[in-house]
Amino acid sequence: MPTEETETQNIEGQTPFTQAPDNPAEDKAEPWGEQTRIVGRRHGRIDGFERVSGGAVYPSDVSLPGLLHAAILGCPYPHARIKGVDASAALKLPGVHAVISSADADANPEWHQGGRIFNDTCRYEGEPVAAVAADNPYIAADALKRILVSYEELPYVSDMESALADGAPKVHPDGNTVKTDSYSRGDLKQGLEQAAVQVSGQYRTASEMQTPLERHGCVARWEGDQLTVWESTQGVYAVQSRIAETLGLPLTRVRVIGHYMGGAFGSKLDAGGYSIIASVLAKRTGRPVKLFVSREQTLLTMGNRPPTRMDIRLAARQDGGLTAIEFTGRGASGAYSAGGASLLDWLAKDLYQCDNVATELEDVYINAGPARPFRAPGYVQCAFAVEQAMDALAEKLNMDPVALRLKNIPKGSPAKDNLPYTTDGLRLCIEQGAQHFGWEAARAEAAKRQDGPIKRGVGMAAANWFVGDGGPPCTVIVRLYADGTANLNMGASDIGTGTRTVMAMVVAEELGLELDAISVENADTGTCQYATPSGGSKTVPTEAPTVRRACLAVKDQLLDMAAKQLGAGRDQVVFAGSEIRTADGFESLKIRDLDRLSNQKVVVGLGERRHNPDDVSITPFAAQFCELEVNTRTGEVKLLRMLGANESGRVINRLTWDNQLIGGVTMGIGFALTEGRVLDGPTGKLCNANWHDYKLPTALDIPPELISDPVMLNDDQANIVGAKGLGEPVTIPTAPAIANAIYHATGVRPMATPINPLDLLPRLNQET
Amino acid sequence: MLPAFAYIRPTRLQDVVARLNQGDAQLHAGGTDLLGCLHDGVFTTDMVISLGALESDLNAIRQTEDGGLELGAMARVARIAEDATIRQRYPALAQAAASVASPQLRNQGTLGGNLCQKPRCWYYRGDFACLRKGGFKCFAVNGENQYHCILGGTDCFIVHPSDIAPALVALDAEIKTASPQGGRRIAASDLHMPPSEDPRRETRLKDGEVIVSIRLPGAMANRYSRYRKVRARQAWDFALAGCALNLDLDGDQVRDCRIALAGAAPVPWRAQAAEQALKGQTLTAATIRNTAQAAMADADPMSQNGYKVALFEGLIAEMLEQAAAT
Ligand SMILES: Cc1cc2nc3c(=O)[nH]c(=O)nc-3n(C[C@H](O)[C@H](O)[C@H](O)COP(=O)(O)OP(=O)(O)OC[C@H]3O[C@@H](n4cnc5c(N)ncnc54)[C@H](O)[C@@H]3O)c2cc1C
Repeated sequence: MPTEETETQNIEGQTPFTQAPDNPAEDKAEPWGEQTRIVGRRHGRIDGFERVSGGAVYPSDVSLPGLLHAAILGCPYPHARIKGVDASAALKLPGVHAVISSADADANPEWHQGGRIFNDTCRYEGEPVAAVAADNPYIAADALKRILVSYEELPYVSDMESALADGAPKVHPDGNTVKTDSYSRGDLKQGLEQAAVQVSGQYRTASEMQTPLERHGCVARWEGDQLTVWESTQGVYAVQSRIAETLGLPLTRVRVIGHYMGGAFGSKLDAGGYSIIASVLAKRTGRPVKLFVSREQTLLTMGNRPPTRMDIRLAARQDGGLTAIEFTGRGASGAYSAGGASLLDWLAKDLYQCDNVATELEDVYINAGPARPFRAPGYVQCAFAVEQAMDALAEKLNMDPVALRLKNIPKGSPAKDNLPYTTDGLRLCIEQGAQHFGWEAARAEAAKRQDGPIKRGVGMAAANWFVGDGGPPCTVIVRLYADGTANLNMGASDIGTGTRTVMAMVVAEELGLELDAISVENADTGTCQYATPSGGSKTVPTEAPTVRRACLAVKDQLLDMAAKQLGAGRDQVVFAGSEIRTADGFESLKIRDLDRLSNQKVVVGLGERRHNPDDVSITPFAAQFCELEVNTRTGEVKLLRMLGANESGRVINRLTWDNQLIGGVTMGIGFALTEGRVLDGPTGKLCNANWHDYKLPTALDIPPELISDPVMLNDDQANIVGAKGLGEPVTIPTAPAIANAIYHATGVRPMATPINPLDLLPRLNQET
Repeated sequence: MLPAFAYIRPTRLQDVVARLNQGDAQLHAGGTDLLGCLHDGVFTTDMVISLGALESDLNAIRQTEDGGLELGAMARVARIAEDATIRQRYPALAQAAASVASPQLRNQGTLGGNLCQKPRCWYYRGDFACLRKGGFKCFAVNGENQYHCILGGTDCFIVHPSDIAPALVALDAEIKTASPQGGRRIAASDLHMPPSEDPRRETRLKDGEVIVSIRLPGAMANRYSRYRKVRARQAWDFALAGCALNLDLDGDQVRDCRIALAGAAPVPWRAQAAEQALKGQTLTAATIRNTAQAAMADADPMSQNGYKVALFEGLIAEMLEQAAAT
């Protein structure tokens, strides 16, 4: 298996599936073609009314008779040994039903991240020490204050450099290196020798924290031996198997429901410690238990994009052709192995054509909350280095940054042995984006506005995303009822991206129905078919072809029925919209008039996700363009306009597509300009543990003009709907596009995120 | 989680001050700061006294005999930002109010509450037993002090969070209070307590003393006044640097001026050296540079906030250049 398979497994938390049904060669489904009836339109959410009216029941809304409320006590130190936990005072508080901690072996199963749910040694601030269940959240909070824990504070490390220094305190007994990794192709030395020009630099990115709108948590209820968990999750089946494994239960005993959930960017791909704690407390008390972690705990413990330090060297011939790329990246997993350097070198080795490449990665433990996959893990960080280095290289070559990139477009994935791409998406994104943005004119105009203290700059950056092809396993069932309406049953979560709406559009398109004839049930292991978590930009390319296949299975049966009813041969009947006709066009039948359907009441179609073709690389591409102003006296950056061109195959719903672009750019702006974890030097504690000090971007931080500019093409080699993943590629190029525009404006290159007056102003004063 | 407390809604001001004088009672105006502090356990209380049921009108904005304005302490920040008279005569105040927090918070938060809000220092607000909360040290000294003060810090190194207070200082406003001993007037520039005098108090209000209104002198009306704020994000963020400028201009000449800074010091910071450098001068490039530098002459940055020196210099220079251009 090539490394990307294991990495996929790593970021998705799932095992590669090698025995999907059938072979793409036997796939007879015709592509939809250019003319579609519903697919491609702008369509509002089919559940929009429920979502905005409060009718939608999110896991944090679930209320059950007898419900208890749980809360977690976190360790206040970045590293401490627990000498004892005394819960007696808490247990005496009226309304407290249970307290569990590491002192309670039955309540403390092994946990997949390493160690147990409650550990005797806490390795990060906020690590769970104990948990209570009480009549209401107020009593639970009071009870936490009465749990007496005696800690022995231990020396800690909170940044990568100190973690790797000689004699550094050890996060784990084996030391502070999680793992190292390397990659090479060609001959780096030779590549460097062939070059006319080289650039190098060290870039750093701050840790970006996961803080989705709905907090992490669940409601757990036992009925006898049957556990039901309502969880805010990206994948109900992933949560089901983790809970079953941790608690030693058969899968059939665990049902996980997550019909609605309020957002996630990777930190809800799997069950959390909270899922186990709630389940254990519910068992203990014989009552349903609700446990949602606080916002502060979210920021402390629910995962982050690891901080990085990246050294990059690019070398090129005078004509701009890359001859060598050298990349060394270091990232911090946090207190447990969590992919601190996961995928960190992929853009360096895979975005541009280059024969000689060497990369090295190092993943480091520090005493801080563990990382978690975060929207385009590794890629967002790496883009900050690679795409700024490309910009620097263009300048040194006296080339236009767009021209330099176009010079180095690969035909296939450079890091996957040049496995051919199904599209020329990278070129298309860059060319179309540059044209629609008015790149050349804007660059020239900005160069003229350099007089006063306010400087104008224009920059761009490109990206790809190595998954986004989707794949098995996935099963979907579509039921067509006698009245001509249809129900879609799939396991996948709609994490706010509009999955339900998009999949309903696929059903409506294929079955010739209107959208309001489709109902969707999803994200419930008790009633829905298997799906992997919604993450890795793979939900559309995994689910949509499977949904279409289930519809095709329905249609197949309907055609059988029609042929019999019309006395025609099976190959004499065809679908025409919501009717079936004989091929000669003389006879037709409405679906609802099929006798067999009226008797049978329902037709059930089963769809299973098939393998992707293995002779191509199915890859989404992106390019972003940015125009901004920098006030060189204050270091303020004002974004004026941005444009994002994406090639992710077919646009199924233009509205949800644009939502992704706007959301992705917004998140990228936060990463670039405002967000970053601050750990206190002398204590190792998190300084910005709230939404005020941890600065997510606001509406006023987004440029007034933000254009979504899809490259319209159908990638029919990718799968039978022609669509690829979008949710991650939209956020990868944002930070370097902004950074390059800042450089264009000021001549000062941002070497670290977040780029703000703190960092920028001293350098502006120094260098200009 | 909120602590358990009694909540009372007096209708008479004298009852407010009488009750406030007891124990650790807290005033509740808009609640935007108070409730956050109680939620986060920054301090606790057993009694919260609402200002929301008073018969006397603390919301009013009215003209005074000297041609100035009197602003009720309960006037909402949004109203200060939008009031046509304030915008016209005291633009610095309207601009400062408009730069506060977010629309929701401006609609809910009051003028008096804004002046009496607690500091935003992450050690003070966070899980650290800092000096201001009764602990023994200021964690910022050896810690993460990128947002802390560069002027006026001793023992405690917060910056005062209010945008409105510096505007009031620059406009030479007066604070009218009520207290068990009767009322008094305090110059806006004297309202706040520097840590050198008491690192545990933010204002010089005495126990039981309540701000009733703020008076803007007629003499300061219709001057060239501006407030501008630099922040790390464009809304819902406190000042990295803010400057309230009040110039009495005669053409290009500055007859008189007052300059007050936000984000610089533990109290709204009157930049007196800068005022001296500017008074009587014409707004030339050289005067502007001198003024900006004079404002920062005493700056004593900590390990991570040295950028603020250049930031204030740049901000003041920009504002004075704009004044010269009008
Ligand atoms: C997220 C956030 C962001 C913010 N950003 C900014 C900003 O950018 N700039 C800025 O200037 N402010 C900012 N603020 C502060 C905000 O402006 C204040 O919270 C608000 O003005 C306080 O008014 P209030 O009526 O809600 O006060 P309350 O919360 O009711 O009271 C605050 C304090 O003032 C005391 N108090 C209230 N009224 C009186 C009175 N009449 N006399 C004596 N004491 C009184 C109370 O006892 C209490 O201690 C922000 C606040 C929040 C929560």
